[in-house]
Amino acid sequence: MKETEDLETRLKIAKSKLQNKKTESSDGKGLFLGNAFKLGTELVAAVAVGGIIGFILDNWFGTKPLLIIVFFILGSVAGILNVIKAAKRMQKKQE
Amino acid sequence: MASNPMHQFSVYKIGPEIKINGVDLSFTNASLFMLISATLILLFLLFGTKEKKIIPNKVQLISEILYSFVSKMISDTAGKKAKPYFPFIFSLFIFILFCNMVGMLPYSFTVTSHIIVTLAFALFIFIGVTILGFVIHGFKYLKIFVPSGVPIVLLPIIMIIEIISYLSRPVSLSVRLFANMMAGHTMLKVFGGFVISLGLVAGWLPLTFSVALTGLEILVAFLQAYVFAILTCIYLNDALNLHH
Repeated sequence: MKETEDLETRLKIAKSKLQNKKTESSDGKGLFLGNAFKLGTELVAAVAVGGIIGFILDNWFGTKPLLIIVFFILGSVAGILNVIKAAKRMQKKQE
Repeated sequence: MASNPMHQFSVYKIGPEIKINGVDLSFTNASLFMLISATLILLFLLFGTKEKKIIPNKVQLISEILYSFVSKMISDTAGKKAKPYFPFIFSLFIFILFCNMVGMLPYSFTVTSHIIVTLAFALFIFIGVTILGFVIHGFKYLKIFVPSGVPIVLLPIIMIIEIISYLSRPVSLSVRLFANMMAGHTMLKVFGGFVISLGLVAGWLPLTFSVALTGLEILVAFLQAYVFAILTCIYLNDALNLHH
């Protein structure tokens, strides 16, 4: 009788250990690499979009070099904001 | 011709030229490989779900893992409300995954290494999510451009920045997939070219690099499909659960 109980508790411990391991490995390296790929383009894309918007508005209003500079800077800010948002999301996921 | 690393990306027509209202709708190698990927997915999932055994065979096991993987991804990132969009995200993920993986085969064509394909995906998601947000929340959806707790003086600048950040979503989504696939395949081809030009003497070094890169490319092919799908989930989450 004692032996089966012993086996059951041991089985439980082993199962819980296995589960812990599984959750650890599923959040493992692969997903971090995915996040790393994500951040780079996030930054660049916003700068590019800002620049394009500035270029189009410049052509509309005929203020050739002015708006493209302003929107390039705004785009860079938006890119940094994107990265911060993504980083916050990652942090939230880990907690 | 064959040693040009960009040659693998050229699109050419297969069969007769089809023109409707001046729009070129000819069947190209890109459409052929999309068709191949779609057929493979269909066959794979049909075989996987044909016999529903309690102890699954390999194909059934893989298709069940795929299903639960995507299902978990959606419920983790977008919550329960996103459940109705499971079919869309699943088909998106598996289509990109199969296109990437079919592209890894020698002599094949990588559909996702063309920005027009990825941009079409990304714009479809972007426009769809925006419409969804407006349908669910009405004009309150514009609140995502106005973060809470910002002083009134800064509000116009913050709004412009948020709008740029919102507009950059399809660009980053499409450029990431396209750039990763194209860069990887170009690199593989360049190293392959080194093997030929260095010959038997020193060709072994780039050959080992090529083998290692192929492994990396398979990882990237999977990861990019995953990242694409998970970002779709995140954008969907922003549209479904408005909180700022």
